[in-house]
This record gives sequence, structure tokens and C-alpha cells, in this order.
Amino acid sequence: MYVSMRKLIQLATVAFATLVAGASLAADKGLTFGMLMVGPYNDHGWSQSHYEGGQYVEKKMPGSKMIYIDKVNPADRPGLTIPMVVDDLVEKGATVIVGNSDDMKDGMREAAQMHPDIKFIHISGDDVLTGKAPANLSNLMGRMVYGKMMSGYVAALSSKTGKIGYLGPLINEETRRLAVASYLGARYAWTEVLKKPLADLKFQVSWIGFWFNIPGVTADPTQVARNFFDTGYDVVLSGIDTVEATTVAEQMRKEGADVYSVPQDYIGSCETAPASCLGVPYYNWGPDYVKLFSAMQTGNWKPTWTWSGPDWTDINNPDSSAIGFVKGSALNAENAASLDQFIQGLGDGSISLFSGPLNLQDGSVYLKAGETASDKQIWYLEQLLEGMDGASK
Amino acid sequence: MQVEFQQIHKQFGPVQALCGIDMRVESGTIHGLVGENGAGKSTLMKILTGYLTKTGGRILLDGVEVDCSDPQTAAAQGIGMLYQEPQDFPSLNVLDNFIVGRDSVAGLDRTAQRQRLGKLAERVHFSLHLSAVLEKLTIGERQQLEFLRLLGRDARVLILDEPTTGISDQQKALLFQALRQIRDEWRTIILVSHKLEEVEALCDRVTILRHGLVTGEAEAPFKVAELLSMMFDKPPSIERTEHDYQPGEEILRFSGVSANGERVGLSDCNVTINRGDIVGLAGLSGSGQGVFLRLAAGLLHARVGDLIFSGAALNRLGHREFREKGGVFLPSDRLHEGLIPGFTLRDHFALASGLSSAAAQQAAEQAIQRFHIRGTPETLAESLSGGNQQRLQLALIQANAQLVLLESPTRGLDVESGQKIWRYLRETFSGRGAIVFSSAELDEILAVANRVLVFFDGRVVRDLRADELDYEHIASAMTGK
Amino acid sequence: MRMQGLKRHLFEIGLILGMVVLFTTLLLSLVGASPLEAFSHLFAGSLGSWAKFSRVLNVWIPLTLCSIGLLYAFRTGLWNIGVEGQVVMGAIGATAVLRLGLEASHPLFYLLAALLMGMAFAALWALFAGWLKVRGGVHEIFAGLGLNFVAMGFVLWVIFGPWKRDGIASMSGTQPFPLELWFPSLPGWRVSPFALGLTLAIILLTAWVLYRSRIGLNLDAVGRNPRAVRLFGLSPSRYMLLAIMVSGALAGLAGGLQVTGIYHRLIPSISSGYGYLGLLVVMLANFRLAPVPFIALFFAALNVGSIQLPMMMQLDSSLAGVIQGACVLSALLVFGLRTLRKRGPSDE
Repeated sequence: MYVSMRKLIQLATVAFATLVAGASLAADKGLTFGMLMVGPYNDHGWSQSHYEGGQYVEKKMPGSKMIYIDKVNPADRPGLTIPMVVDDLVEKGATVIVGNSDDMKDGMREAAQMHPDIKFIHISGDDVLTGKAPANLSNLMGRMVYGKMMSGYVAALSSKTGKIGYLGPLINEETRRLAVASYLGARYAWTEVLKKPLADLKFQVSWIGFWFNIPGVTADPTQVARNFFDTGYDVVLSGIDTVEATTVAEQMRKEGADVYSVPQDYIGSCETAPASCLGVPYYNWGPDYVKLFSAMQTGNWKPTWTWSGPDWTDINNPDSSAIGFVKGSALNAENAASLDQFIQGLGDGSISLFSGPLNLQDGSVYLKAGETASDKQIWYLEQLLEGMDGASK
Repeated sequence: MQVEFQQIHKQFGPVQALCGIDMRVESGTIHGLVGENGAGKSTLMKILTGYLTKTGGRILLDGVEVDCSDPQTAAAQGIGMLYQEPQDFPSLNVLDNFIVGRDSVAGLDRTAQRQRLGKLAERVHFSLHLSAVLEKLTIGERQQLEFLRLLGRDARVLILDEPTTGISDQQKALLFQALRQIRDEWRTIILVSHKLEEVEALCDRVTILRHGLVTGEAEAPFKVAELLSMMFDKPPSIERTEHDYQPGEEILRFSGVSANGERVGLSDCNVTINRGDIVGLAGLSGSGQGVFLRLAAGLLHARVGDLIFSGAALNRLGHREFREKGGVFLPSDRLHEGLIPGFTLRDHFALASGLSSAAAQQAAEQAIQRFHIRGTPETLAESLSGGNQQRLQLALIQANAQLVLLESPTRGLDVESGQKIWRYLRETFSGRGAIVFSSAELDEILAVANRVLVFFDGRVVRDLRADELDYEHIASAMTGK
Repeated sequence: MRMQGLKRHLFEIGLILGMVVLFTTLLLSLVGASPLEAFSHLFAGSLGSWAKFSRVLNVWIPLTLCSIGLLYAFRTGLWNIGVEGQVVMGAIGATAVLRLGLEASHPLFYLLAALLMGMAFAALWALFAGWLKVRGGVHEIFAGLGLNFVAMGFVLWVIFGPWKRDGIASMSGTQPFPLELWFPSLPGWRVSPFALGLTLAIILLTAWVLYRSRIGLNLDAVGRNPRAVRLFGLSPSRYMLLAIMVSGALAGLAGGLQVTGIYHRLIPSISSGYGYLGLLVVMLANFRLAPVPFIALFFAALNVGSIQLPMMMQLDSSLAGVIQGACVLSALLVFGLRTLRKRGPSDE
């Protein structure tokens, strides 16, 4: 009885394996890549930047095809886990899977172990750096710190009250890093360009609890942004995936308030807020996707940790720059010109903001005078900096 | 306004509730309408107020036939009724309750309405806080408000249904004074009551109903004995069971027990029930008998006083312990309180005795045989007739019972079934314990009981032994004389 | 007689399904999608392969456990709407035990202890709602809803507070447990055979308890007429408390399995809404046990299959919820018609 049962299971397994193999064979014509997006594909933010990156690949790599699932998070899709959706994408013929959220870290690793023949690209992760990644998992991230520096820079130039609000998502290394980069940009503009005393610059970070609003669970970003503006902050930098801060600023500006915002991540974020949007730093994933997918197709895949920066010759070149900055129509000409100089300085190395002396928020030394931060020091930032208000942990 | 009923008939299915009522109520009088429960008083009044449709006859107001086929029409004719239970909105305040339901736009002018209510109250010497929420008021105060509402609507015929139940003596005096006052304003008042002392004190004239017929009329001053003989059936001709009444040892004792429940509750009850007692609880319905039975069964708890059952204080026992000590209670509302709708006969036996399904099947079959229940073990309780439901309840009594409490045990049963049930009860339980039962039928009590407790207004007003049982005596005690 | 009953049931089920399909087809046509394609994706996405089916089972297990728990409460006439919060508390209880077992050498012991602790946590949580009902006269629907909010707040607090990951406080939950503390599964299985067996056993046990045992009869009696039950020497409140505790314990087991078998960590939405969905299952089953596993399977298949809709047709997957809702509404309609029909002729 027992033996026959085991035989049965074996048979079923063989049948099942054949089925799966058949499915992947059938889809072997061109490259099919799967995309897991944490938010809606049309969120005007983080997830949309990936979606458009995928479309870029479809254009540049003939025969390639994207299949995607958006809103992959337990609040929107209760009961769904990353390994499950990966199973689905693989069954549909995907040979490489992109997961675009830090929250997918555990799930991506688990799925990668389950599907050793499939390649995985985890955006914003560090499994390759920490050595936890299996051989079929790579990490990719854009050096948004530069984009955020530019954001902070235009914010400080445009602010009249010297009070800048930062609408943060949850607290982790990445989000601290980006908040700090924004602060450094703002500080540079305030003290080096405007020549004002540092003590007059207030930089407040408020965390809502997640990358986007989940009613009843996170703080409501609309409320947080409104609260910033109501208490004298006249520029709000968004650090979340969605564009509530920009919407609020535009609305308040129409009502006569002198306020600005800087969204992030998606190239088109400013379009809906012409009067109040100072500009947007954005990710351009397409070129890096093409690079990684091509390497895979030509058999040159190896697990990599890629942190792609801007193409300093033209940060807005869609075919070469991973990070760009689109100036908003609310940015005046003088400040726009000043920003160009700043970008140039960043590009030629004459301006280096992650340089000492810098202290962490608790007063301990982050960088000694003359010291410049390494990639790892920037990546694994453990606290906000001295001079910033808001929780570090 | 003069109200005249001519040959009013009302039929409920096969039951003839009113069989040709003729009655005339003159303007400027307080007219009493008395009779036992079920005599037809409420039915007649509901026909006048439009809540019931008559099956025959005419109603005349000031000699003109009117149509009172629905409450709105009746109210428009100036007929208003003060119900036993206040028909108000407990969560609203006094003024809002006064205003509510007025359809004119002027009615929504709060200041005007406030003044109007104040004036009305002043006229009849009621004092009400206009902003008090009704939930916080006594029944008497809510009744006063209701009364003022009716006055405010210019009700020219006022019907009061047992208006003194549950209100204080002071409120009663105020109400009576107000009634006399508005009578003198030439309004017509009909007082439905079975408390003869009130009828005596207040009414100019009285009509007596029994079994849907007018059995008599009388003018003040009334002769109570005469009224009683018209209210109740003649002393029973059925031969009475010979009671060789020999009280045994004490089974149940109430000492100084007061409790809430059923509107009037139970006040200061001191009674001892002994082995061999067959106690009939007499009284108009809702005079405290139900509270007494439920206290004895451990289903209600006394506010003050002690109950001793089989040597143990019942205050601390629940019904479960009462059962374990050999007590049993059969409520009158068999399907809502005694049996489980949706359960078969077999399920009931399994539930009552903890039998397995097969043993319960057998017990059910035996009970069906023994008690002549029309049904099978698979019959659902709710599809049994009332008599069969009662037989099922009897069959479920545990074998060791020594105190059997029954609430209206033969209600809804034909005479023969009732007698069979009593024969069974007496044979089975009077030897080894006591039976306590309430009944709306005085005949039944006199025929069966060897001891009678008479309830009036939540009190035991008489405790009569077998040799003192006397029809008139009990009947007058029931009406508070 | 019996055959007729079965026929009537089949007819009713057919009627319900027909109404749902009609409604969904209309809806899909309205948004310009092909209903046939949508249905075939739903079907293939849930029952198309063993992998898919095992995923359906992963939803079926907690959903069935919640629904069966609800049956116990409904038996005594209680609406245990707090089942959602009880799942969460079960998950918290299980997580608390597993955190103790992080370094331990006998993980199986901790896994089982975690499930038991989850059941105990949830049972006590449910008991609280029951106690409020029995002693305080608070309607169990309000108590349950209130406690659901409290449980949600509590799980957020532990995830963002005492149990947060190193340096990160996020919606993604606590640090995942090491592999040893995952409920073991067979190769090729995406579902824990232990959980599956346990659920099947609980279904059988419940069938016996509710329909064959003394306790089941007493629970039923309490639900049908609590006043009369006192006259049979039973305490209705005691049976209500018992029922709601069992209800909670099963919800807690579902929560514990979510932690140990599915997510391997505590996340804020650990209950996945199975508690509320369970209410729909039980209503659709007309409060009887026999249909529950099948309806739960149908709902689970819809939930799992619906992910295909955004992937293949760019349709929102909330269509699954719409279908489930339509099922319950149609069922209520059909059951309502049945009682009307029944009442009709018996009036004569």
C-alpha cells in the first residue's frame, strides 16, 4: 500500500515536471521577463519607472516580452507570496524575474533557490554584497543619492522660510541614505550658495511607515504633507513611491500659498503640478535592464551588485544615464542655472558632499575632516546626520 | 361626545371574540369597562381606535355612524387611547415626544409647543421637566406625558387601559383628579380595568363583559358582589376532588421575598409550601404569579428576602441546582420558553436526560405511547399542537421530581385533555411532593387545588386552605377588594 | 424524500452559480473584456497544475479553519465577527513561541508549541468577546469588530516595536524565521501535508461533534432557544463561551499556520482577510458543515486564480472579490426564495 502510494507520487511528479518543461520550451523564442512591482504600474512614481524601464527593454531587445504583476504587497494582495507569483511568471515563460521592492528581499531569495535555472534581479537589495545571494540572483540600484542632492539643492534655493520637510516612507538604510543626500544638497545650497547661516536651515524628516499610503496602517501622506505646509515648511521633498506631496503643494499653491514640492523616481511626476513642482530626480532603469538581460542571453551572467549613477555628460540621456533630473516649470531661471552648475560640480568631482567632517545624528563622527565616504559607508548609513530632525530608527 | 356600539362582532379565525356588543357611553361621564382577561375589553377598544377591524356592527359618535377602520381615521374623529405600555420614544425628551407626529408646520414651532405643553400640564397639575429624556422617567410620568399628548390633540373620547398598573399612589391620585377634571369639560372617558376599587372610585357607569358578551350594566354607586357575579362564571358545578389535606414537611419557603419582573414584580412574599400541597395561584394575569413561579424555579433572583428549597438557599442556586434537587418548571409559553423549536421529540429526550441517540429514540417512543402524543420521535416540536407540546413537556419531567411548578398548564387545551393531564400530575407527584400552578381559570384552581394563593398587584393577598376555598371570596380578592 | 432534498439542493446550487456567472459576464462585457478568457484564466490559474492547486490548498486551509470555527459560534447563535482579529492573535501567539525557539535544537517541538500557543491566544481573545456578550450584554458583533481593530493595532505595534527587524521597521514584517522553523513540506509540494491532514481531521472531528455528540446537541439547543435550554438544566452562557472559544482556537490555528507554513514571519496583514471571507463561506453554506470545505475550495481557487487577470488581461484581480460577493448575495436570494416558498403553501 505504502509503496504504491509512493509510486503514485513519483508518477505525478514526473508528469508535473514534463508539464512545466513543456511550458518553458514553448516560450523559448524571445526573452520573456517577469516584473514584480510593489505598487500600481501607473503610480507616477517608483513602480511606473520600472514599468517604463520594461517597455524600454521591449523596444530595444526585439522579441522580448514583459509580463508583470503589480501591487505585489500583502496589503493589496493578501495571501500572495513572492515565491507564488514567481512560480506563475516562470510558468508563463519568464526566464528572468525583476522584483522592485526592498520588501521582496526574503521572497526573492527564496524563489531564486527554488528556481535555480531562472535569473533574478532584486532591485535595491544587497544580497550579493552580504553574500547571501545564490548564484542566480543579482542586485541593481540607481545612485539616487545624486538625484536627491539635486532635489535638496533646488529646495533650499527656493525656500523662503528655510524650513524643508522630507516625507519619508519607512526607515531603513536606503531611506536614510536618500534623506541624508537630500539634506546634504540643501545644506550646500544654503551655506555655500546662499551664504546663509546653517542654524537657520531646518530639515525635518517624517516617516509614514511604508512606501505608499495604506489607509489605517500608515500615516496618511496627504495629511503629513499638509501638516508640513501648515506649519511653515514651504518645500516638501517626497521620499515615498507616490505623489501625494506634489498634489497637495499644487492645490495649496492654487489657493495662494507659496509652497513647492519635489517628487521622486518617475520622470513624469512633475507633469500634473506645473505651478509647484521644482523638478524631479528619476530612475531610468531601461539601459541597465538591457545590459543585464543581454549578459544573461549571451551566457555572461554572473551575480553582480550594480549601483548605477548618472551619465555626467548628459544626465537625461535615456540610453545611458541611470539617474536623471527634470527641472520643473516652478523652478525659476536663476535657480535652474545654479542647478546646472551644481550638477557640473558633482560630475567633475569638484563638489563632493559625502565628505568630512560630518557627524551622525547622535553626535558621533561619521566622516572625519578630509575623509570621503566609500560606497559601503553611503549604502549602509546607520543614522541620519547631525542637523536633521526626525527619527533615525 | 357620545359613543355608541351596536351589535359589534369580532371573529378571530374560528374564535368568536365579541358576539354582538351593545353599549352606550354618554358625554361627560367616566364609563368603566370591566371583565376577566379575555372577556373582550381590549378587542372592543382596539376596534374603536381602528387597530382592529370589526366583523360586524356599527359605531356611532353623537348618533352618526363613523368609519374607524384605521387608526388615522379614528384619531381624526377625536378618539385617543392611553395604552398600558407607553407608546412613546424613550430616547427623546419630553418636549420632542410631545411634538413628534404632529403634521402641521406650525407644530414644529418649538417655542409655541413648549408653551402649549406647559399650559396643558398646568391645567391638570402635572409637573414634567420638558427637557428630561423619557428613559429616565417613571412609567407614571411617561403616562402623564401621553395623557397630555392626547389632550393636546383635542381627543374628545379618551380610552384608558389599566392606567394604574405600575404607577405610584401619588401619580394615581393626580391622574384621577385630572380625569375628573376633563370629564367636567364634557369629554368622554372609557376606563378599562379589572380593579374594582378604582372603578368604584372613578366611574359613573360600568359595563361588564364576559366571554365576548355584555353581561350587565350598573350605575354608581356599585354593589361589588353584583359586579363580581357578572364578571366571573358562576361557581363551578364540576364536582370537586375530595382533598384530605394533610400538610407534610416543608419543601419550599419564601420569607420576605421581593423581586422585579413582569411590571408589578413581587413584594414581601411569605409563603411556605409543604409536601402534599397542590397550590393554585389565582389572580388576574400578570399580578405576580409568573414572578413567583420563576423565583421558586431559580430562574429569577430575589431583590431581598430568602428562598429555601429542600433545605438550601435558592438565592445562590440557579435553575440547574433546582432541577438537581428535584424541582421542575413548565412555562406557559411552551414553544418560546419550554421547548426547542427545530428539535425533534427525540432530540428533546436526548437533551433532557443525556441519553444516546438510540436510547432517546426509545424514550421518545415510550413517551408517545404513554402520554398519547400525536407525533413520532422525528416530529419537530413546533409542529405539535399546543396540547401535544404540553404532553411533551410533561413527559420530559425527570422521574425524581418532588416540586412541580406549572404555569397555566392547561392553557389552550380542551377539557378532556386538561383532566387527563391533571389526573397524571396528581397521581404522579402529589404523593411524593408538591405541585404549584397558576391558572387564569378560577374553575380549574377550585377543582384541583387544595390550597390557593391569591395574587393582586404583585402581592399575595390571601392564602386559603382547602376548607376555606370559596369562589366569591377568591374572585373579590383577585380584584383587590 | 431524501432524493428530493438532494435534487433541490443541486437545483439551488445551479441557480446560484448561474446567477453569478451571468452577473460576472455582464460586468466583464461592460468593461470590454472577454468573459470566456477571464473564466479560463481563473480556472487554469487555480486548478491548472499541481503547483497551482497546492497554492489553492494553502488558502483553503486557513479559510476552512476559520469557517469551521464560525460554525461552532453560529451553532449557539453567536456572530463571531471577531474571527479576523483572532487569526491575528493566533499568529502573534505562534510568533512569540517561535522567537523563543530561534536557537533551539528541536524545532518540531517549537512548531507544535507555536500552534498551540496561537490557539490559546486566539481562544482567550475570542473568550473576551464572549464574556463581554454574556456578562456585559455587549453585542458580539460590536465587541468582535472592536477587538479586530485592537488586534490590528497590536500586531502593528509588535512589528514596528519590540519585534522589528534590525534597523528596519516596515510593513514587511518581522525577520523571517530560519528554515528549521518552517513547517516541513514534501518535495514538489507548496503546501504542508501536516497542515492539510490536520485540517481534514478537524473537518471530520467537527462533523462528529456538531452532529453526533452530546455537546453538539447542547450547542444547537442553545442556539435555537437559550431560554428553554435553562429549563433543561444547561447554562446557555457557558455553552456560548465554549463555542466562541473553539471558534477562536480554530481561527488561531489558522493564524499559527499562516506564520509557520506560509509567511514564515509575522506580517501586519497576516490574516489575509480569511476571517471575513470565512463569514461569507459559512453564509453561503447556509450554516451547515458539509458544503463548507467545497465552498472554501471554490473561494480559495478564485483568490489564487484571480492573480492571472492582471497578469494576462490587465484586469484588476478584485474581480475575485466581486464574484465571491455575488455568490453570497445570490445565495441569500435563493435561500430567501426557499423560505418564501415554504411559507406559502403551509398557510392554507
